[in-house]
Amino acid sequence: MTMRERFAGFFARSEPALPMGSHAAHRAVGRLSGVQQTPRELDPFLIWAAAALLLLGVVMVFSSSIAMAEGNRHTQYQPTFFLVRHVIFLLIGLTAGAMIFQVPIATLQKSASILFAIGVVLLLLVLIPHVGREVNGARRWIGFGFANLQPSELMKLGVAIYAADYTVRKLGDMKSFRRGFLPLAGVVLFVGFLLLREPDFGAFVVITAIAFGILFLGGINVRIFGLLIAVAIVGFILLIWLSPYRRERVLGFMDPWQDAFGKGYQLSHALIAFGRGEWFGVGLGGSVEKLFYLPEAHTDFLLAVVAEELGFVGVMTVVVLFAIVVQRAFSIGRQAHSIDHHFAGLVAQGIGIWIGVQSFINMGVNMGLLPTKGLTLPLMSFGGSGLLANCVALAVLLRIDWENRQLTRGGRS
Amino acid sequence: MKKNFTFNHNPLLSEKLPVWRARFVLACLLIGSIALICRAAWLQGVKGDFLQAKGESRYARVIELPADRGKIVDRHGELLAVSTPVRSVWAIPDDITLTPSQSRELARLLNLDVNELNRKVASDKDFVYIKRQVAPDVADRVLAMKLPGIHAQNEYRRFYPSGEVAAHVVGFTDVDDKGQEGIELAFQSDLLGHPGSRRVIKDRRGQIVEDAESIKRPREGEDVVLALDAKIQYLTYSALKQAVTQHKAKAGSAVVIDVKTGEILALVNSPTYNPNNRVRLSGAQLRNRVLTDTFEPGSTMKPFVAAAALDSGKFRTDSIINCAPGRMTIGSATISDAHPHGALTVAQVIQKSSNIGSAKLSLSMTADEMWKMYDALGFGSQLKLGFPGEASGRLRPARVWRPIEQATMSYGHGISVNLMQLAQAYLAFARDGDLIPLSLTRVEAPPLHGRPVFTAQTAREVRAMLESVTQTGGTATRAQVPGYRVGGKTGTAHKIEGGVYANKYVSSFVGLGPISNPRLIVAVMVDEPTGGEHYGGAVAGPAFAEVMAGALRALGVPPDAPIRPMQVAQTRRLDGEAKEGM
Repeated sequence: MTMRERFAGFFARSEPALPMGSHAAHRAVGRLSGVQQTPRELDPFLIWAAAALLLLGVVMVFSSSIAMAEGNRHTQYQPTFFLVRHVIFLLIGLTAGAMIFQVPIATLQKSASILFAIGVVLLLLVLIPHVGREVNGARRWIGFGFANLQPSELMKLGVAIYAADYTVRKLGDMKSFRRGFLPLAGVVLFVGFLLLREPDFGAFVVITAIAFGILFLGGINVRIFGLLIAVAIVGFILLIWLSPYRRERVLGFMDPWQDAFGKGYQLSHALIAFGRGEWFGVGLGGSVEKLFYLPEAHTDFLLAVVAEELGFVGVMTVVVLFAIVVQRAFSIGRQAHSIDHHFAGLVAQGIGIWIGVQSFINMGVNMGLLPTKGLTLPLMSFGGSGLLANCVALAVLLRIDWENRQLTRGGRS
Repeated sequence: MKKNFTFNHNPLLSEKLPVWRARFVLACLLIGSIALICRAAWLQGVKGDFLQAKGESRYARVIELPADRGKIVDRHGELLAVSTPVRSVWAIPDDITLTPSQSRELARLLNLDVNELNRKVASDKDFVYIKRQVAPDVADRVLAMKLPGIHAQNEYRRFYPSGEVAAHVVGFTDVDDKGQEGIELAFQSDLLGHPGSRRVIKDRRGQIVEDAESIKRPREGEDVVLALDAKIQYLTYSALKQAVTQHKAKAGSAVVIDVKTGEILALVNSPTYNPNNRVRLSGAQLRNRVLTDTFEPGSTMKPFVAAAALDSGKFRTDSIINCAPGRMTIGSATISDAHPHGALTVAQVIQKSSNIGSAKLSLSMTADEMWKMYDALGFGSQLKLGFPGEASGRLRPARVWRPIEQATMSYGHGISVNLMQLAQAYLAFARDGDLIPLSLTRVEAPPLHGRPVFTAQTAREVRAMLESVTQTGGTATRAQVPGYRVGGKTGTAHKIEGGVYANKYVSSFVGLGPISNPRLIVAVMVDEPTGGEHYGGAVAGPAFAEVMAGALRALGVPPDAPIRPMQVAQTRRLDGEAKEGM
């Protein structure tokens, strides 16, 4: 109830347009830290929803990893092993976000190609033996001593920026298959190829969705897009059938109980966690599934632990919070479009697609709606690169929102 | 911002970015959210039971809660049988992959032959015991090797602190904790613990994280408190062992009975065995001869005939019976005394143990009267102590008796009893004529009055006769106990082998004390003494005296013998002891 009142309060105060101060960015950061000096300059719903997801993520990462960390030699038997790292990553992410917030969207647009190129270089680096680190048969990380960098996570933001920049540049060619569609499709397929070499099928799906989603929003010919969808579906099916590893995961998802101790092991335990949670959960910390039964409880299957400990209420809260974030991203994007900041608008919507698609796939996988694939829950799951990329994306979103507000209030753009 | 500025002036732009597409994509994503919520509600609200059952099957386990087998203790609470925790090492042969060095190490730890170990783990069964009942620390060391397929389970092993001393009473259990002999078998259902169970939730590493519910509480086995007195048992055991060794006998038995309560204070057999180590166990060692073996009691039967004669009113203790010339013909058979006697009083018949005197007393009554007396004393029927394999002895019905049988039965031939029956029958003398049932377990409320067999007057008179047996002129002067007046009757019976009486003997002595107020009955039987002596007074008498003396002192019974000047030396007239026998 208090939450709702707070939201209502923000809502009520979000409209009045007051004169802008000259140090808006500074005040905006002040707003993030809860200091209310001036009227709304940032989207309160977005901030609160994202903050709630981040904080719930911290709690659930700790809860789901505590037993595993305590009983594992690799974590030096420290129960707070993952909590400490998650909080450090979060602080790094927030700091990076605060820094990115200072960067004007125009600068971002100018450096879109460079950022994308850096991303591609990192994706190439990760494939080089001894540079890229292999974990569980997938080479997705570049080691940096203390932490590992996962280029595919940063690439998601890179693709959103690049695709938006590309679409804005080619607005006139959107009706053309050869000039409008093919170049980006080629680039995306190249990136996708690199991702599949790792392999990181989940990131491939998300990046493809972001790129072609932005292209679709940018006005690509509907027939081309329809064709694209058809090709994508056929392609995915082919990819799934060509790789026994992925096919097994798909079969496990179809009927997890058929081979509940083999292919369906992970999903069946996730589903049991949901069943145990019932409406209100077994209580925070009470999960049995996290006690070595459910693999990847603190990363890919964090929602299952949420479901078991906090019940349907907890799951619904998470889904609604993500829906709010996505809705705000699209709303900010629309505002940007309305003042003809099309790049900003497409980036905001691209980020919305990213978070929406990735969270949907992750939660769908947890509930057995989609085949199991390695995708974390944005903003919540353990994982430094993912958290960093999510925080930076939020910062970009807030920057766009802030620039929108500056402009609508008559400030300089 | 240059590009933005450019687009602002592009009139085509608003057309090229259709708002519906953003709405469409957003709607798709929000529909996805709704789908997720519906799916969550389905899983958590509707399918919850199914999923929980699946979960239960994975991490709920029913754990057996072991229940201890009851202890067996003597009347003072001293432990005679107790369960100690041990572990059994077992294996799933299919899971086992042992390197030769691991096999050797395992065999060494378990003290097994390597080949035997390899044969066991190569079995095609699903489950084999590698070794049962090993010490917990040994099992821990085996488990510490972390060999796949090798497991250990908790079990109990029975330990018998008193060892061979009380082996025949206590008995033992098998490896599955089931009673096989003695009290362990007789009281199996009382001693048996009933394991409980509890349902727990385990994490994947097998650790219990939650006590779900207790399905069944374990019920510990009940303790059995025996009538046995460990101290008296021990001194009986050592006295019997000495008698059997000294007289190079095949076997021996002894019992001590509390006259007031009917409790069996000691029950000993020789040879015996160590119940803690039953590796080489012979049937002879196992036999609880006191109850399972019958023998012809010989002269120990004579006091009953005398008592019956006194009760009949036809005789008094000083009635004269002519036993000359030491031979007597009944029908076609002739019976004799070992030493010819002249005229004897009834008391002297007992003191001197005259066969002819007993026969004459017996023949003065009808067969039916005699049978009724024997039956009332418990001969020919089981004592029903609950012991396995209890013998009933042989008492043929009176109507088939021939006179010669009626005569020989009076001195204990043609009738067979076990030692416990004989000892119980002497209760009638010790208790002023009545009989009470015997008990292996401690009796809290002893019966005041038993079943009358003789009159109190007769019982007192027979007690005096029994005392005279141990006094000068009797057959068992070596059965005397310093400080106490005791009495009893010797028995020396030929053994029947292949239907004929062989030159082998069963020597016995059954007695009671103190005479003034009897408290104990001690019966000693020595089977086939070969050390040169075979008379009951010489073979069983000293053992009786030792047991009686020690037991009376252990019970704190006040001495009743008149104080006499201390005898520094005593000359025993061994050759003066009246001989007895057929």
